[in-house]
Amino acid sequence: MSEHDPSQLGAYVLGALEPDEVREVDEHLAGCAECRTELVELEEMKEFLGEVPPEAFLDGPPTDGDLLLQRTLREVRAASAPQEAPVVAAAAAPKKRTRWLAVAAAVVVLAGAVGGGVLIGRQTTDNAPVATETVPAGSKQVMVSDAGTGTTMAATVEPRAGWSWVTVTIAGLKAGAECQMFVTDKTGKTYVAGSWVVSPKAAQEGSRFGGGVLVPTDQVRSVEIKTVQGKHVVTAAV
Amino acid sequence: MGDVDRRPESAEALVRSLYAEHGRSLLAYATRLTGDRAAAEDVVQETLVRAWKHADDLTSGKGSVRGWLLTVARNIVTDRARARAVRPAEVAEIADRPPVEGDHSEAVVNSMVVLDALDQVSPEHREVLVELYYRGRSVTEAAKELGVPPGTVKSRSYYALRALRTVMGPGAEVAR
Ligand SMILES: [Zn+2]
Repeated sequence: MSEHDPSQLGAYVLGALEPDEVREVDEHLAGCAECRTELVELEEMKEFLGEVPPEAFLDGPPTDGDLLLQRTLREVRAASAPQEAPVVAAAAAPKKRTRWLAVAAAVVVLAGAVGGGVLIGRQTTDNAPVATETVPAGSKQVMVSDAGTGTTMAATVEPRAGWSWVTVTIAGLKAGAECQMFVTDKTGKTYVAGSWVVSPKAAQEGSRFGGGVLVPTDQVRSVEIKTVQGKHVVTAAV
Repeated sequence: MGDVDRRPESAEALVRSLYAEHGRSLLAYATRLTGDRAAAEDVVQETLVRAWKHADDLTSGKGSVRGWLLTVARNIVTDRARARAVRPAEVAEIADRPPVEGDHSEAVVNSMVVLDALDQVSPEHREVLVELYYRGRSVTEAAKELGVPPGTVKSRSYYALRALRTVMGPGAEVAR
């Protein structure tokens, strides 16, 4: 294809085209800036796919694993026999919730220092007032400002199956800054939830980033942003 | 999903259903990481027991249960390798096992995020990505497998990657 057809690029990035098709796409890419830009984004998605092991797409029980199942059931029975089964709590019914930023705009009061920053507002989604967008029930949202580094961060912690998806929007970062997100749980253990580079656009409009941690949402204590060089940027106590 | 039933029968039912749905995936993954079927079975057993202990987290939130299980399995393998590594005599043995070297917590967490995202795109999009990327099939092979023309496989894989990008977070910067 010498003609412009971005829909070829998916199979191209995934390495699924025949050699002569690859050559044609290569030729087109050499002369098409639009496709080259698109290619960069598709390659990012391919990198994401690479985080998942291929075994994740096998289904069903193991072949000849019945002994393993029996052993596991024995352990579970033994552990549950005399006492109660593990800690369980009722899950909150899903309700319509607000997206933080809409609420943040309405919060004017500075409510005291938290984790080296000024807490601008905080909410859990169980008593959210105005609703514009929906965030999952059980989400926590907090907004802080750090006078020392001149940054303001809105952080949202959303519950997933036994883990949390944390998104932040940060104003006041410089373009090119390399940032890391750390999440600390209530036992004081800290997890890295990913790292990113601030684009020039994000430096102006606010840098958005999301990452996951293997910590249930009700166990998340704080979200901290540092530079990859280890310099503190801003911390939100959740 | 509401209250988790506490009766022993339901504990057993939970373990049975997790095993029936995810057992093969878990055992294959643990076998690759440990290089040893017996060790892998121990890892799967411990993973399922932990799943039962965290049944509430696992069933009340939305998100990929399989991602949770694979992540826990990986953590168990890593923790065991570390525990052995503190005994100097066995260090040489550990060095032979690249899959559990170093700290993979970040990559592991991203695998949950990606599986979660793959659960949210359409089945057609998910299936074409699985064929082309995870099973390493060519467009021609995937077309035969899925029973659609090669041109459809191509355009679907393109729109699948775009859909994934949308689900991963509109405007969010991508983790490195
Ligand atoms: Zn083009």
